[in-house]
Amino acid sequence: MTTKDTPLPAHLDPKTYPRTQHDESKNIHLTLTYMPLDATIYLSQTSSPAAGANTLFLGTTRDTFEGRSVSQLSYTSYPPLTLKTLKEIAEAAVEKHQLLGVSIAHRLGVVPVGEASIAIAVSSGHRAAAWRAGEEILEACKERAEIWKREEFVDGGMEWRANADRDAEGRLRVAS
Amino acid sequence: MATQTFTIHYFASASSYTGKNTETLPAPLKLSLLFSELESRYPGIEEKVLGSCGVSLDGEYVDVTPAEEKGGDAEGERVIEVGSEVAIIPPVSSG
Repeated sequence: MTTKDTPLPAHLDPKTYPRTQHDESKNIHLTLTYMPLDATIYLSQTSSPAAGANTLFLGTTRDTFEGRSVSQLSYTSYPPLTLKTLKEIAEAAVEKHQLLGVSIAHRLGVVPVGEASIAIAVSSGHRAAAWRAGEEILEACKERAEIWKREEFVDGGMEWRANADRDAEGRLRVAS
Repeated sequence: MATQTFTIHYFASASSYTGKNTETLPAPLKLSLLFSELESRYPGIEEKVLGSCGVSLDGEYVDVTPAEEKGGDAEGERVIEVGSEVAIIPPVSSG
């Protein structure tokens, strides 16, 4: 997309990234980056001797949408809101599930097909909390985090996706 | 040319519709007049885009509904001040 009249705003300039936030007391780590996500980093951020369960979710980019071939995907964000929302999501999960650590990382810019766009690492004393919290955090991110995906298709055209249109199994939500 | 302005950022469908990522508009402007201001610059945007969007003002979500539509009175209505940062937030699609 071309920008008319004005220089690239900071939130769209990869040079202003990565943008991170760390809450030491709750062991929460947040990352927005234009670089590839490194799962081992996020796992090591949350794990500790007290944690017996460590889950990792990686969301990776798909090459089709409703049968149309996707040539390229890219993401943009608005960190003043995005980091605030991710913080609320992580804090709520820590509180609800008594987690020992949460790391949420989202990649921005072009993400080649098959590579990770989101990584969520969760550590807890026992496995049930870590599994559940991981899923809840992901669903909350998809619903609320101020990040937008643009799909460009092999047959031409591009579309901005909206998560509200799809459920966790990729099915189209029908307005009720 | 107005020298007193605020900054407005557009994302996703809002940036496609306006053809811009960001611009400056004359300030101060009543928050309740934001959508009609945008509609006058980008005809059709209110129905096609803004209806499903949130709005943030200096990092906080705000309600742009005119006070009279909410049954309240117009006094104390928020104003977008000079130098403020507004963002149009379409439905999100992370993950």
